[in-house]
Amino acid sequence: MNTLQRGINAMIEQIDAPIATFFTSCVHCGLCADSCLFYTETQDPKFTPIYKLEPLRRIWQQEYTFWGKLMSQLGLSKPVTDAELAAWEPLVYDSCTLCGRCSLACPVGNDIVYMVRKMREGMVASGHAPEGLKGATQRAIGLGSPMGVNLNTLMAHIHNTEKETGLSVPLDKEGADYMMVLSSAEIAEYSEIVSAVTRIFHQAGVSWTMASDGFEGTNSGIQIGSSDLAAELLSRVVRAAERLKVKYVISPECGHAYTALRWEGPNLIGRPYHFEVIHIIELLDQLRSEGRLRTEGLDETRMTFHDPCQMVRRGGVVEQPRNLLHMVAPNFVEMPDAGIQNWCCGGGGGVSANERAEPLRIKVFSRKKAQLDAIGVDTIVTSCSNCRTMLLDGLEHNSMNLNVVGLTELIAEHLAPASK
Amino acid sequence: MADHDSLEHRLAEQGISRRAFLKFCAAMASLMALPPGSAVAIAAALAKAKRPSVIWLSFQECTGCTESLTRSHSPTLESLIFDMISLDYHHTLQAASGFAAEKSRDDAMQAYYGKYLLLVDGSIPTKDGGVYSTIAGRSNLDLLHEAAKGAAAIVAVGTCAAFGGIPMAKPNPTGAVAVSDLIKDKPIINISGCPPIPAVITGVLAHYLTFGELPALDELGRPKAFYGETIHDHCYRRPFYDQGKFAKTFDDEGARNGWCLYELGCKGPTTHNACATTKWNGGAGFPIEAGHGCLGCSEPNFWDAGSFYAPLPAPSADVTTIAEVAAVTGAAAAVALSALDRAKKKRAQQAHEKLTVKDL
Repeated sequence: MNTLQRGINAMIEQIDAPIATFFTSCVHCGLCADSCLFYTETQDPKFTPIYKLEPLRRIWQQEYTFWGKLMSQLGLSKPVTDAELAAWEPLVYDSCTLCGRCSLACPVGNDIVYMVRKMREGMVASGHAPEGLKGATQRAIGLGSPMGVNLNTLMAHIHNTEKETGLSVPLDKEGADYMMVLSSAEIAEYSEIVSAVTRIFHQAGVSWTMASDGFEGTNSGIQIGSSDLAAELLSRVVRAAERLKVKYVISPECGHAYTALRWEGPNLIGRPYHFEVIHIIELLDQLRSEGRLRTEGLDETRMTFHDPCQMVRRGGVVEQPRNLLHMVAPNFVEMPDAGIQNWCCGGGGGVSANERAEPLRIKVFSRKKAQLDAIGVDTIVTSCSNCRTMLLDGLEHNSMNLNVVGLTELIAEHLAPASK
Repeated sequence: MADHDSLEHRLAEQGISRRAFLKFCAAMASLMALPPGSAVAIAAALAKAKRPSVIWLSFQECTGCTESLTRSHSPTLESLIFDMISLDYHHTLQAASGFAAEKSRDDAMQAYYGKYLLLVDGSIPTKDGGVYSTIAGRSNLDLLHEAAKGAAAIVAVGTCAAFGGIPMAKPNPTGAVAVSDLIKDKPIINISGCPPIPAVITGVLAHYLTFGELPALDELGRPKAFYGETIHDHCYRRPFYDQGKFAKTFDDEGARNGWCLYELGCKGPTTHNACATTKWNGGAGFPIEAGHGCLGCSEPNFWDAGSFYAPLPAPSADVTTIAEVAAVTGAAAAVALSALDRAKKKRAQQAHEKLTVKDL
């Protein structure tokens, strides 16, 4: 098989009953366009979400529909070519962050982002994936992290934390209740998270550990759209969690790590987990409601919360971060469209790893800027380290002087002393 | 606007505010299924419209069409709109009589030659030289040919003028025909119905004044905006039809429950008109709401199309059997086709070459 055949074969393999239903149901209303960041900020109709799926739709039509098959038999249909897939690569990867806003907008209920995810399977198999994302995936498979961090980097953070807090950071502790997984960006750039969770879990009396062979949750395989590679990355975490016999795996503040661990995982490995997955923010809110997480002092800064797409739209985690914020932030304000309809930071779904997409990503940050300009805050809190980096980047390009902080760290800063 | 002859000015004189006028324009736009922006265009055009001359000829008819137009919505804006055109000749409504009346028609035909709108209600008798209906000693046939010559367009109001109607019903002793049977060289709009819905008459006139052309027509020359769909399509009793719940007599349980009148001869499924949506008497209701089936009065030959109380023809074989056979055949075909699709997907899965990092 050449790469084109391999790509088309992958799409034929990926087309399932939902996809057939979605393509059949599409009424061509174009409402998905106005839900897409890349369309609203550019007004370029090629960024209409459903249009990004055109090659997949044609393959479905030619391979799975009665009339399409008949037309193909009679030689009347135009087969999908390699050049077309190449032309669609920027649409499928650069201008889609898998944010899922279009799926909510579709009046007939078509899960468009589900289809983009599936179409990427064919794109990567045909060799049409962005170089930046390929590199990230190669690093993730080869080195253990798309950003090239490894166990040594983590160990350094662990030692620092132990020195700073006087608490021990459990590693490879069999039988712990929770196994904490981190994101690549946290280990590389926001290492204060290690100290934050250590102190919080100590106060709340949480039995937890990290695993030396499964500490990294970022999943470039999901982003590039290869289930084969995604499964390999995910298996590291699953193996570690099951080796340590933990009851829960904690997803880090990372959108696609959450989606990979929580939603795609069991399908990728083809069996149920022997543990449950919970997002760090869900866990913190649970500890709060049980009275095990106590804070003191308030941060008077005017702040808002940026909902990561994967958490609100795919995960439905909306109330939890707000409950936590209300503990410490009296001047918290909501952005327009906050919650389920929040706009993407522009860098999800592998866009942040794709250098070619950067000018477009910076351009469409205008939406986030408008959201922020509407409320005039000093600090943005979020719960995804990739969003955090993308927000900082976008703010800098727009000369906006705002702080961006992670929610877990914000809570840790206001942690009440451990004594009862 | 200082144009004292303009419609808007005349309306203001009669106490019709601009707001009410715009509301009428928006209602007209939505009634005719025009894009929302059209309301403004209609308002602009009507505000400037200079009362085109209208000649209304009544032939073999019952004056029901005029009754419909003048009475049902009177004194709403719609009837005033009609006042606002220059109605230069109308048997029933004109003040003049005798020679004066005929003179005013002649004058209008001369003064506005090629520009006036000719409205006709009633069919035209042709047998025996058209002697069966005459006005001022002249046959309807003669009058129509004369008036049609200088008309910009002809509006055939009512089923008699549009399709021959009741005068043409068997055995048609007067040889009655429709306007379109006689006049071939002018645009003709058929506003059928016995009588037509008043808003449909005014709607078509408003469209003509606004755009200066006729609205889109169906194959029978009727404006699609009003006659595009059947009564049945929009009937509020349609859900009962779909559930198979029919009244069998006019006083049974089904009739009391408001079930579908199909078996009592309702012609709704074959009748194109806007009754079910526009309704009658200022929106109060339409015949089916009063418990009687549709007679099909806006369709050609409605009087001769069999009993009003005989149900429309239904499939000859048992519907249940047909449905069962169709369902079984369809299901079998679907199973076969989906098996093929499944096999295709399975082949694709077998052909899957595992993607490794080397492939990137």
